[in-house]
Amino acid sequence: MLLALAQWLALDVRTFSVFNYITLRAVMAAMTALLISFALGPWMIRRLTALKIGQSVRTDGPQTHLVKAGTPTMGGALILTSVVLTTLLWADLSNAYVWVALLTTIGVGAIGWVDDYRKVVHRNPDGLSAKAKMFWQSLIALAVGAFLWSHATLPAHTELIVPFFKHWVFPLGVVGFMVLVYLVIVGTSNAVNLTDGLDGLAIMPTVMVASALAVFAYVAGHAEFSKYLGEPAIPGAGELAIFCAAIAGSGLAFLWFNAYPAEVFMGDVGALALGAALGVVAVMVRQELVLFIMGGVFVVEAVSVMLQVSWFKYTKKRFGKGERILLMAPLHHHFEQKGWKETQVVVRFWIITMLLVLIGLATLKLR
Amino acid sequence: MTVKKRGTLALGETHVSVANVMATPNANVRFWTITMLLVLIGLATLKLR
Repeated sequence: MLLALAQWLALDVRTFSVFNYITLRAVMAAMTALLISFALGPWMIRRLTALKIGQSVRTDGPQTHLVKAGTPTMGGALILTSVVLTTLLWADLSNAYVWVALLTTIGVGAIGWVDDYRKVVHRNPDGLSAKAKMFWQSLIALAVGAFLWSHATLPAHTELIVPFFKHWVFPLGVVGFMVLVYLVIVGTSNAVNLTDGLDGLAIMPTVMVASALAVFAYVAGHAEFSKYLGEPAIPGAGELAIFCAAIAGSGLAFLWFNAYPAEVFMGDVGALALGAALGVVAVMVRQELVLFIMGGVFVVEAVSVMLQVSWFKYTKKRFGKGERILLMAPLHHHFEQKGWKETQVVVRFWIITMLLVLIGLATLKLR
Repeated sequence: MTVKKRGTLALGETHVSVANVMATPNANVRFWTITMLLVLIGLATLKLR
C-alpha cells in the first residue's frame, strides 16, 4: 500500500522514489513488524492471560517444565498479525508471490489456531486430530504447488537446484515438483512445530533462516545479481524479501516476550504458520535444499522424533518391549535429560543455526 | 552526614535489569534484540542518505 502511495507521491516529489528499492522497504518492513509486535505484545499477553489461554504441559516431558503450565499461549497470532500487516504495508501487492506467501501463512496459521483453540479453550487435549491437521496442510501445500507449476514461465522455476554444484540442475516434471513442494511446506511446518518446545528455541532460528531467505529472494529477483551468482532468475521474487524481513522483525520482537522465562508461547498458530512460511518462500526462490541446510536444527528435531517413535514401535513389536534411542524426544529434551540447562540448549541450537545459515549463504558464491 | 544515592540499582545497565527482577537470560536476550535493532538501523543508513 505504501509503495503505491510513494509511487504516486514520487510523481511530484522525486524523493519518494527511494521506496521503489526493495532493500529499503525490507529494512523498513523489519522495523515496522518489530514495532507492531512490541506495541501489541504486552496488550496481547494481558488479554491471553485474562482469557486463561494457558499452555498445558506434557506430563511425560521434563519435570522442570511443569512450572511453565498456564503460561499464555497462541502468541503466534501476534507474529502473524504483525507479518501480515507489515507485508500489506510495504510489499508490492500486485505481486503474485507475495499473495502466495501470505495466503499460505494465514491458511496454515488457521489450522494451528483451530488446534490451539480446541486445546486451551475447549480443554480438549487432542485438539485438531493429526489426520485433519495433515489433510489441511497437504491441501494448502498442493494448492501452492499447482499454482506455481501453472504459473512457471521458465524451466528454472520448477527445477531442483543442488547447492554447491553449478551444473547439477534437475528438471522435476509435474509430479516431482508437486511432491517436492508438498514435502518442503508440510515438512518445514511440522518441523518448526516440533522444535517449539523450549523458550526461544524455535523463533530465533526462524528469524535467522527468514533473514537468509530474504537475501536469496532479493538475488533471485535481481536480473544482474542472479546472473552473476549463477542463481535462478525469478522475476518478482525480490518482493519476498519484504515478507521475510517482516518475519524476522516480528520474530525478534516476539523473542523479547518469549525469552526464558517466557511470558508467552507462540503455540501451533505460530509454529505451523512460520514453518510453512519458510517452506513456501524456499520453494518460490528455488532454494529447497539450501533451506534443508539452514534449517538443519528443524530437520534434526523432526528426524529425532521420527527415529524415536519408529524404533520404539519396532522394538516393541519385535522384542515385546519398546526401546528408545534418545533419552527423550524431540532432541532438545534429550539434551535437557543429559543435564544441559534449558538456556544452554537454546543458545547452542541458535549457534548451530547461525553456522548453518552461513553455510547456506556461502552457496550463493560457492558453486 | 551526607547520604550517597545511586542513580541506578546497579551498574551496568544489565545489572539494573537483573536487579529489577528480570531473569539473567531474559536480560541477555533483550539486550541482543536491541543490538539487532540498532544494527538494522545502521544497515538502513546504507540506503537512507
